[in-house]
Amino acid sequence: MYQTPAIAGSPVLTVRKNVLTVRRNVLTHQRKRDILVDVAPGRPNTRRRQSGKLKGSEVRIDGVDKAFGEFPALIDVSLTVKKGEFFSLLGPSGCGKTTLLRIIAGFETPDVGSVLIDDVDILPIPPNRRHVNTVFQSYALFPHLSVFENIAFPLRLRGLGEKVVTQRVESYIELVRLHGQARKMPSQISGGQKQRVAIARALINEPDVLLLDEPLSALDAKLRQQLLIELDTIHDSVGVTFIYVTHDQQEALSVSDRVAVMNLGRVLQIGAPFEIYEQPADEFVANFIGDTNIQPAVVTSVEGELSRLDAEGLGPVVVTCDVPPEPGHTVRHTIRPEKIRISKKRPEGLAPNTNILQGLVDERIYSGFQSKFFVELPSGYVIKAFQQHARFLDDGPEIEWKDPVWVWWNANDGYVVTPRGGDE
Amino acid sequence: MSTKSGFPRFVYIFVTFFLIAPLIVLVVASFNASRSMQWERFSLEWYRRLFFQSRDLWRAVRNSVVIALSSATVATIIGSLAAIGIRWGRFRLKSYVQTVTLMPLLLPEIILGVSLLIFFASIGVPLGLGTIFIAHTCFNLPFVILIVLARLEEFDFSIIEAAYDLGARERDTLIRVIVPVSMPGILSAFLTAVTLSLEDFVITFFVAGPGSTTLPLYVYSAIRFGVSPVINALSVVMIAVTVALVLLARNMLKYIAK
Amino acid sequence: MRNRSGGLYTAPVTVWITVFFVVPLAIVVLYSFLEKGLYGGVRYRFSLDAYRALANPLIIRVAWTTFRIALVSTIGTVLLALPAAYYIARSSRRTMLLVLIIVPFWTNFLIRVYAWMAILGTNGFLNSILLSLGIIGEPVRFLYNQWAVIVVLIYTSLPFAILPLYASIEKFDFTLIEAARDLGASRFAAIVRIMIPNIRAGIVTAILFTFIPNFGEYAVPQLVGGRDSFMIGNVIARELTVTRNWPLAAAMALIITVITAGGMVVYSAANRTRGRGSGRRV
Repeated sequence: MYQTPAIAGSPVLTVRKNVLTVRRNVLTHQRKRDILVDVAPGRPNTRRRQSGKLKGSEVRIDGVDKAFGEFPALIDVSLTVKKGEFFSLLGPSGCGKTTLLRIIAGFETPDVGSVLIDDVDILPIPPNRRHVNTVFQSYALFPHLSVFENIAFPLRLRGLGEKVVTQRVESYIELVRLHGQARKMPSQISGGQKQRVAIARALINEPDVLLLDEPLSALDAKLRQQLLIELDTIHDSVGVTFIYVTHDQQEALSVSDRVAVMNLGRVLQIGAPFEIYEQPADEFVANFIGDTNIQPAVVTSVEGELSRLDAEGLGPVVVTCDVPPEPGHTVRHTIRPEKIRISKKRPEGLAPNTNILQGLVDERIYSGFQSKFFVELPSGYVIKAFQQHARFLDDGPEIEWKDPVWVWWNANDGYVVTPRGGDE
Repeated sequence: MSTKSGFPRFVYIFVTFFLIAPLIVLVVASFNASRSMQWERFSLEWYRRLFFQSRDLWRAVRNSVVIALSSATVATIIGSLAAIGIRWGRFRLKSYVQTVTLMPLLLPEIILGVSLLIFFASIGVPLGLGTIFIAHTCFNLPFVILIVLARLEEFDFSIIEAAYDLGARERDTLIRVIVPVSMPGILSAFLTAVTLSLEDFVITFFVAGPGSTTLPLYVYSAIRFGVSPVINALSVVMIAVTVALVLLARNMLKYIAK
Repeated sequence: MRNRSGGLYTAPVTVWITVFFVVPLAIVVLYSFLEKGLYGGVRYRFSLDAYRALANPLIIRVAWTTFRIALVSTIGTVLLALPAAYYIARSSRRTMLLVLIIVPFWTNFLIRVYAWMAILGTNGFLNSILLSLGIIGEPVRFLYNQWAVIVVLIYTSLPFAILPLYASIEKFDFTLIEAARDLGASRFAAIVRIMIPNIRAGIVTAILFTFIPNFGEYAVPQLVGGRDSFMIGNVIARELTVTRNWPLAAAMALIITVITAGGMVVYSAANRTRGRGSGRRV
């Protein structure tokens, strides 16, 4: 879905208050974004909701710090979630993403900083009066109430009449596709169904912002995929701002409009999924998102956009960068395994600025749609190269264990990042 | 089941026999016409005397029931609230509350009895049903708190957060979520408290005054001063009543938990 | 939100327990340092008489007797409870086996003691059986000695030892025993070296739930004990109601409290290391 443009727009990292703002090749990506929007019906500009206008709110988080005792959970976090956006907070466990979510919900108070929803400071407002609802990781269904009553709970609190309640609850049962389950108790329904109840219950008050705390983590892989798609559909039909916390990059990349990658309490990068993947802001992001080969490398020379590096284990490589690194500096060179080609025969007619290396297949893992090769280079470094099985038996001669092979990639596919982010 | 568990099995059977045999002896003896343990003939004499010639005993039963219901009610209400606070609150004095409320459970009964007796005497409170009520509430509290806490621990704090998140105020959360969710725990705490109160002898012994004899006190003096086979009959009736109550309570709890 | 409610909810219990438990205990401490009044009560003058009286050989002997009875009954209880709990935990009919243990305790404590008096008494069940079988010529006095006290204490304590032991054995992962056997341990060694350390918390709980109440026992020695089984609890009651030396009663109550607190320290120390390798059955 996301293809790298021929010349990857390179980010200029402007570090301001730890917010990594990526000033990118705006034209290219803006165009791509438009294309994306066009091909995906129901994306933000084509809401199906009756009024047609976005009902969600903008969430602005500014300079938030939060520590639990000695442990800093959030360090100077600033970010803005746009109206109606599907925004993900992605990071390993303990990175602070859940804490940030709980601050927005009102269950935690930041030590410093502000949280604004549509320019209103919500920190003084208790959680029960915020127009923000949460889908909890554990679902948090009330065990003594039926599916219907769980969903009706917020309406009952407001003392709405039976007729209105029934009507509203039924429409949300419809939305999350729980027909026929209304009278069951939470203990009698499956995990996926519980999740739908939790979503309906959180949406019935028509919040400005819906917070989802790893809502799919307790489900099995297949169901997760299915619910993810439904979640996307629900987002499109209700038009509420979604803030989605997850540690699963696949989830984040596949449904989000934008993603914030977090580690050790800091936001390392905010961007559209393809930016996060193709233009990681630093070593951590590159490593965390997807699979990659990453090596420390010393910049030897720079000629315009083309830099020459001496990469550990690889030797001399060329890589294109919009913002040339300083010669003599140590950076990280990264190349995604799926961008590396592999063959038993030395390829001919290579484009200029192609890096090509020779090695021995150390291991091969067949995983259906692709094979993963671990190729040991003369230096002892093992580089990963993934080969898609596009056509049965037509990928050239079968490559086996211990075969000598060639691996190559274009300088445009390599990428230079700053050393590890997040931890000092 | 492993066939090698011969020894544990033997011990289990011995223990069960050891525990149950005395009660069977009582049941048999209660139908024996003789005052001694020698079997004479079947008779309901002792039951007749129990039901028709034991006014003091029935007064003691009434006292016991009054104390049990009142102290269990008070202990259940304030103990359940405390359990909720301990489970989901963060406040100063929390460790004090947690430690001190459980101490009456850990200390030998006599300590509570003695200290309350000295306390009441030192401030000049006359001993009677009131002091027994206070003492029973004291020893019931830790049980109530532990039982309700155990029930609360089955639930994640997130359901409370969910309630707030969905717009509930503190009172709504308490009435609509916390209390209904912990109801099975609260009920079994109440039943446990009633049972403990009906059962207690030692503490009651110290804080009882004239005219406030409870059933265990009555039984105690009956045993000490002239064993009468009426006690056998009383035992059997008490066993029957307890079994009936336990079965009733179990079904009730099952019904509520459903 | 968390902070606001907790204190409010616990306030009634905090007040109740403070007024009717902590303050009375404090008064007990205070009384133990006062002079005894003529007809019970105290005179408000500082005195160590009560503690001096504790050194009385009679009281020391009672304390020793109390300790011995509590210890022997605890050992007896745990030795019986451990295999019984093991058997229940390994059985497929656990609920039924547990109910059989608990049912006798649905009856009043005094009734249970009384049942033993009916069995062990001079005209009791045991004597009549032994007499009619011709094993003894005349009734034996089983009651009113410390063995009667120990038997009845074991009887009353057994469920309180079986239940915590059962709970911890039930959680124990028995594949560990198989692993130990696989690695060459004998059945006995596997149980002693693998199971016992893993159910330590349950064992400690059982010991404390038996020892502490037995140490402060009042009713059982009063009913089935004799002169050789006069326990601290009986002395306290006597000092309160008959001899009317309240400071002495207070001092003795304090000693029981201190011993209990010591037990609790041991308990929490054992609990703190419980996480270590107590496996869960999958």
